[in-house]
Amino acid sequence: MASVRAASRLLSKKVLSHPKAVPVAAVQGSRNFHFSIYGKKNNAKVSDDISTQYPVVDHEFDAVVVGAGGAGLRAAFGLSEAGFNTACVTKLFPTRSHTVAAQGGINAALGNMEGDDWRWHFYDTVKGSDWLGDQDAIHYMTEQAPAAVVELENFGMPFSRTEDGKIYQRAFGGQSLKYGKGGQAHRCCCVADRTGHSLLHTLYGRSLRYDTSYFVEYFALDLLMEDGECKGVIALCMEDGSIHRFRAKNTVIATGGYGRAYFSCTSAHTSTGDGNAMVTRAGLPCQDLEFVQFHPTGIYGAGCLITEGCRGEGGILINSEGERFMERYAPNAKDLASRDVVSRSMTIEIREGRGVGPDKDHVYLQLHHLPPQQLATRLPGISETAMIFAGVDVTKEPIPVLPTVHYNMGGIPTNYKGQVITHTNGDDKVVPGLYACGEAACASVHGANRLGANSLLDLVVFGRACALTIAEQDKPGEKLSPLKPNAGEESVANLDKLRFANGSMRTSEIRLNMQKTMQNHAAVFRTGSVLKEGCDKMDGIYQTLENIKTFDRGIVWNTDLVESLELQNLMLNAVQTIHSAEQRKESRGAHAREDFKDRVDEYDYSKPLQGQEKKPYDQHWRKHTLSYVDPKTGKVTLEYRPVIDHSLDEQDCAHIPPAIRSY
Amino acid sequence: MSLLRLCASTAKHFAPKRLLGDSLFTGCARTASGAAKDQEPLRKAKTPQGRFDMTEEKSKDVLEKFPDDVNPETKEKGGPRGPEPTRYGDWERKGRCIDF
Repeated sequence: MASVRAASRLLSKKVLSHPKAVPVAAVQGSRNFHFSIYGKKNNAKVSDDISTQYPVVDHEFDAVVVGAGGAGLRAAFGLSEAGFNTACVTKLFPTRSHTVAAQGGINAALGNMEGDDWRWHFYDTVKGSDWLGDQDAIHYMTEQAPAAVVELENFGMPFSRTEDGKIYQRAFGGQSLKYGKGGQAHRCCCVADRTGHSLLHTLYGRSLRYDTSYFVEYFALDLLMEDGECKGVIALCMEDGSIHRFRAKNTVIATGGYGRAYFSCTSAHTSTGDGNAMVTRAGLPCQDLEFVQFHPTGIYGAGCLITEGCRGEGGILINSEGERFMERYAPNAKDLASRDVVSRSMTIEIREGRGVGPDKDHVYLQLHHLPPQQLATRLPGISETAMIFAGVDVTKEPIPVLPTVHYNMGGIPTNYKGQVITHTNGDDKVVPGLYACGEAACASVHGANRLGANSLLDLVVFGRACALTIAEQDKPGEKLSPLKPNAGEESVANLDKLRFANGSMRTSEIRLNMQKTMQNHAAVFRTGSVLKEGCDKMDGIYQTLENIKTFDRGIVWNTDLVESLELQNLMLNAVQTIHSAEQRKESRGAHAREDFKDRVDEYDYSKPLQGQEKKPYDQHWRKHTLSYVDPKTGKVTLEYRPVIDHSLDEQDCAHIPPAIRSY
Repeated sequence: MSLLRLCASTAKHFAPKRLLGDSLFTGCARTASGAAKDQEPLRKAKTPQGRFDMTEEKSKDVLEKFPDDVNPETKEKGGPRGPEPTRYGDWERKGRCIDF
């Protein structure tokens, strides 16, 4: 009887509870902050040292790698292989990093097609960098190149082969034999037409053999610096909004470039220069940010590049008046002029108001005057590309194009071992505990201009170099130096401020303003007045960041917040780029100015050196730019650092003295 | 006996609420799919079974694969399909410039 009554009471409770049931989605506000940590290494602790509003988890590792593209993955598993307890913090899943879009090949002097020597590759790269590259880093990269490619091939990367079974190499990227005197060199190895994709998947697959802890979709906010030493990273877990502090003796930054600072770029939406910004906020310099590689014909809006072969087959560029404007700028070569001439001509046309489209900010590439069968046989697939990315039928309408950013040569300054350096009192000084590799770093192998197929090589060689340097200097399992308990609280405060920002301008508006300004003022066409105007405008736009408005107040997968953080990072990169460009009064490599058309070196290398007086350091421009920003005011300070002219071993490989760069 | 009466009363509480809930849900479902159903005939879902029933159309790829994956001119095995990507000085594929 008693049990029956109990049962009935239970039943009645169930009935009464129904009307009160509220759908889970409506529950907001207070969360249960008991944060349980899962995973195989259970030594992470929850702390409330820096914030009581956000759950903060502390992790301890031997090394942390920020970014999981080609360079980041290579560094991460290189460290794991050496026995270090490594964490890889990445805001994207590793196989979604932008390395996957690098479909060109990878250069290495393997000598499979004809006799080859890495010293000739060294010469080509030094010349390509317009003598702004550090020759010791270039020596390191080109000497390690054959070993790196063979290592990748041993990891399982399916390079294309010759009949003998050796790796097939083709001619690409300004490579020559015998220091430029022996004709075209065949050095570019590839995997069908998807080298970057294959590289990334190979590296990711290889890294799973080792014990790296992956923290995927964790947005790295800042470096934890103390006394000029880097002690780790603080990151936001996007999935649940918790803050994680990764304490480690060594931090490797491999976050990629910042193409998204410009309106038209080939980079993914996630290329926002987070690593460069983290380093800037830590008070360290960024190097050579003014060197940005452009391509003249990128599809408007989509950012994909149209091959120069279109112009080679007879395509022409026309402005709003239907005029073939290249005839005015390059009467002999016309549309087949070199890339920088074409880019500058297009920009001048747009600036003078003869652009097309509602904003008059691009020009047309016309192919419909060519016979369609010729297009289909010579350029198969172009009608597909034009339809997908531009929405035009290439046999009837022209393709909208404008100069597009493709690669950032500049980044975080490192030495040839991958250690981040600063320049104080005329000497390079290593920042303990901090390393950088990949597009985010500036080692500097590309100098003022990157050669094709060298960037994938850069990734793997310097990713491995960072791992080797760390393995040389430290042992796994070393005790970490103490860190202030409230380290990282400014990052959390900034996060909180952005999350509840209630100004008047949306993130997307500020970002579009920045991108348009950079595209109009700091793109291909650079001259003093345009750059100065751009600097002032960018300073103004930097101040509007105070006025930012976000809409999503939640903490779980708040993409509005993450995009605003990315915008802050982009803004830091953009102001440094434009100020560095404005100050550099010469034309070198990718930085071409109309008012200073020549290269200004310590000697005039177009004439014999005898009888010439060496210009003092502060009067010539063969030096690296180091830029600092004060994040609160947006003020940029510039310093300079000399180019390293000696190679690692003068007996083995003599350095190349500067000369005029002509192909 | 008392138990039975209690059960009956609880059942009365339960039933109306559930019926109401059910009718609301099914009613919505009916109107939503009803409109769609009136416009187009029922199409088989793209389940593996449904896909095998469709006639297979071989999508014509612009860049044809080489026989045995060996390029006849250069004898390259496993290389890029179609014409040589570096013939214009940059790395071209399907009209797009990938690297330069």
